[in-house]
Amino acid sequence: MKQHDIVIAGYSETKIDQKTGKSAYELGGEAFDLLLQSTGVPKRAIDGLSVNAAISEACNPFFAVFMCDALGLTPSWLNLSGLGGCSSLGGVARAASAIRDGQCEVAVVLGADALGTFNRSMFGAWRGEFLEPTGALGPPAAFGLLMSRYEHQFGLKYEALGKIAITQREHALLNDNACPKLRKPLTMQEYLSSRMIADPLRLLDCVMVCEGANAVLVTSEAKARALGLKKMAYITGYAELTNFGGDDPLTDITLSGHSQIASRVFERAGRKPDDIRMFHPYDDFTIAVVMQLEEYGFAPRGKGCDYVLATDLSFKGKLPLNTGGGQISAGQPGLAGGGLNLVEAVRQMFGEGGARQVADPKNALVTGIGMIPYGRNWSVNTALILEQ
Amino acid sequence: MAEPKRPVPAENVFVDTRPFWAGARAGKLVLQFCRDSGKFQHHPRPVSIHTGRRNLEWREVSGKGTIYARTIVRVPGPGLEGRLPLSVVTVELEEGVRIIGNILDRRPEDVRIGQRVALAWDKLDRGVCYPAFKIVD
Repeated sequence: MKQHDIVIAGYSETKIDQKTGKSAYELGGEAFDLLLQSTGVPKRAIDGLSVNAAISEACNPFFAVFMCDALGLTPSWLNLSGLGGCSSLGGVARAASAIRDGQCEVAVVLGADALGTFNRSMFGAWRGEFLEPTGALGPPAAFGLLMSRYEHQFGLKYEALGKIAITQREHALLNDNACPKLRKPLTMQEYLSSRMIADPLRLLDCVMVCEGANAVLVTSEAKARALGLKKMAYITGYAELTNFGGDDPLTDITLSGHSQIASRVFERAGRKPDDIRMFHPYDDFTIAVVMQLEEYGFAPRGKGCDYVLATDLSFKGKLPLNTGGGQISAGQPGLAGGGLNLVEAVRQMFGEGGARQVADPKNALVTGIGMIPYGRNWSVNTALILEQ
Repeated sequence: MAEPKRPVPAENVFVDTRPFWAGARAGKLVLQFCRDSGKFQHHPRPVSIHTGRRNLEWREVSGKGTIYARTIVRVPGPGLEGRLPLSVVTVELEEGVRIIGNILDRRPEDVRIGQRVALAWDKLDRGVCYPAFKIVD
């Protein structure tokens, strides 16, 4: 059943940068202050808070509680969202449920992370014994394996991956919040000659980890109007799946949980792929964009590269892609990263895209990806459809 | 030239992995097996991923299989000194389970998906054995 009762009625974002020396609290406070400024909502009206679990606070199980203290908030609903790159979308969905359940009326979904200041990642589990001795230490090695299998089954067109990187870079050039180091034009030659990190994964297929924070305000349509808020994006569909293929040792790793949740999110929103005006997929690596174009039905399976080459993905194009530059070109603010493309989608729908404004931004599909398991595809998959 | 440092991970941290390490010391690749479903699983888990039950045992596998995915790690990191570029592969074993490891006997550029592999043994610090693979032509 379609539901149009809950909205995102505000957004904010700090500048994204490296070596800021700031903590997740400092950055979170900046995003919170910006959100209060841009919405005019008084702090006392906020009675719900969802905080993305942050790598820079990974040793602290009370991060969300400490964040309440840092922001001077006294929420009647608090959530620590531990879904990695899906924490922001998951936070929005959980906030919507909490609002419908009467736990709170006005929730802030906040992502803030500062790996450059404190890198407290300690994933433990199987990594020490079964991954680290092989040298497959981080996401690039896992994505190198994934890309190699995709290439084996379907072929890879590197110019298509390059086009994603270049299109998003051109969007980042128009985004004042994007990491300054990345705000330089990029050519196909530069992409193709960027060094291999984990073959066939190149440096310019990857995100650069940065620091930053973002926030959205989630409330009911009625409450938003009572608060005097005029601009809002309706949350019409959400779907989530974790550990797809987790009980199949021989799962096809070129399929992810997105292949399962795509039909659910479209059905809930009463939409089909052709209806989608803007696509804001989670983009830690360019191949993730290609695979999601297929899994959400924009391109046939195995033909994502052809679709990219044949389609104008710029903010002026047929399917605008990550119009703020995405994580690949605006910078990945750690585990606040899942909020980056969400905030851009809302910004566009509010008509505040400035030089990169999409014409008729009537709806958006935003996705999330969280964590990479042993030898498989990513773990957490989320999708959100917003409507004007 | 000094041998590269290959840190030995702490055993038995995540779940009970002692049979894996005891097997490695004896030159055997020993993986977790679900008695109810008759299927292997790797990495080891606290329960069967097939049934959720703890009716598990450890069994030796052949170490024979096929390369399912492959990459070449080129960026430095802990334990990678002197090993780059490094061939990292996902091997699909004949027993129906996948394992990530290194190919020891080929230039990384010459490793391809679909190649047949057999078990080989790599050495971590203190001579500790760790499973790896070699190409079977």
